[in-house]
Amino acid sequence: MSTVLLAALALYVAAGVVTGAAFVTVGAARFAHHMTFTLPARLVLFPGAALLWPYVLYRWRRARSDEP
Amino acid sequence: MSVAFKAVQWNRDKLIYDAVLVAGVAIYIAGFAAVAWRWHPPKNLPDVLDIWLRAFGTAAFLMLTVILCIGPLARLDCRFLKLLYNRRHFGVLTFFVAATHVGLMIEWFAVQGLLHTLPADFTTWENYGKFIGFPFKTLGVAALAIMLTMAATSHDFWLGFLKPPVWKALHMAVYAAYGLVVMHVALGIMQYEHTPLIPLMLIGSLGAVATLHLMAGWREWDADHGRAAAADGWLLVGPPNAIPDKGARIVTASGGERIAVFRDGDQIGALTNLCAHQNGPLGEGRIIDGCVTCPWHGYQYRLADGCAPPPFIERLVTYRVRWNQGVIEVDPHPLPPGTPASITCPRTGA
Ligand code: HEM
Ligand code: FES
Repeated sequence: MSTVLLAALALYVAAGVVTGAAFVTVGAARFAHHMTFTLPARLVLFPGAALLWPYVLYRWRRARSDEP
Repeated sequence: MSVAFKAVQWNRDKLIYDAVLVAGVAIYIAGFAAVAWRWHPPKNLPDVLDIWLRAFGTAAFLMLTVILCIGPLARLDCRFLKLLYNRRHFGVLTFFVAATHVGLMIEWFAVQGLLHTLPADFTTWENYGKFIGFPFKTLGVAALAIMLTMAATSHDFWLGFLKPPVWKALHMAVYAAYGLVVMHVALGIMQYEHTPLIPLMLIGSLGAVATLHLMAGWREWDADHGRAAAADGWLLVGPPNAIPDKGARIVTASGGERIAVFRDGDQIGALTNLCAHQNGPLGEGRIIDGCVTCPWHGYQYRLADGCAPPPFIERLVTYRVRWNQGVIEVDPHPLPPGTPASITCPRTGA
């Protein structure tokens, strides 16, 4: 039982690392009106993007379909 | 204001604040360990880890208590506002202290070769039906998960991304985290370690948090119910010179929304008291370079229409104001964000 839970957690984290890294390198600028990011700022944003990756992906997809 | 997101917006004040904060936490943890060491000299490595585990655990709990007290303290006395402005760093540090507590706990199991027994603590389902014997570590995990989410989304970027209502709701979850930690201690260590210090810590903390919240709420309730409204529902602000020049007077609508009525010479305008950045108290700010400037992080808005000057795009809700037989009144019904609504007062005293 606990093995299943741990495996699910590991999968969630792995997907978070991939999504989070992609988001802070190319996605975040879309949501930062008129703002740019320093490199440390991107690193600071990474944990949040990795943690909330399903919601981040959802917003990212929606933002892409809004702008041609 | 800069137009690049930085990792941390440090300035001199904040650096001093952070240095004092880190030093305070370090002194507490070292002091705790020194006293515990004398009192119950550790016999082996797990005992040593246990001391640090408790030092970090109690430090995180006390920090959480202080965080929850700063809000009402600042509402009671504006000298505490400075602590409030820097609460974010306090919260992030609390998360790291709590995470260290958990790391030490894992280490405590690991050095005894017991790591493989740890998952069963969480998945022995019948224990969840008990009160005494409840898997108190799960309560700790839930609290830590909330603290992690808050710390990870504490950067300004997330405030814009998540939208202020969601962000605010997320940050109200700190109360849930606090409750979970109280139960984590009450159902955990308090059940098998019979020292009066633990219940004392819990009762002292709960007492301080509850008392301060009740006091601040009571005072505001009193202030919010004393203000007369005109027959058509407009709220009295007072004569123009009762509003400090380049400052504001805050009035509260019957629904509880706060309205900041500013005066800049003979121009009078009313904006929501909530800054679009992090709901900072705009009415406690001043007009600098012709713009209402938030006291928390310096976001600026034009008095005339509540818009941030370009290239910024924040827009605030405005309110209609009128001059009525020598006094200023404000319509408590908000206008759409960015609607021009300021007036020029016919005659100002100051
Ligand atoms: C994954 C999450 C957590 C786990 C697994 C965990 C585990 C533990 C354990 C095993 C103890 C008992 C220590 C002992 O026997 O000496 C303990 C105590 C304690 N924990 Fe946690 N904890 C977690 C999260 C937290 C958090 C987030 C806080 C506070 C913000 C916290 C505060 C405390 C406190 C104050 C004690 C009592 C320390 C004492 O005086 O003995 N814990 N925790
Ligand atoms: S709350 Fe940050 S500038 Fe107003």
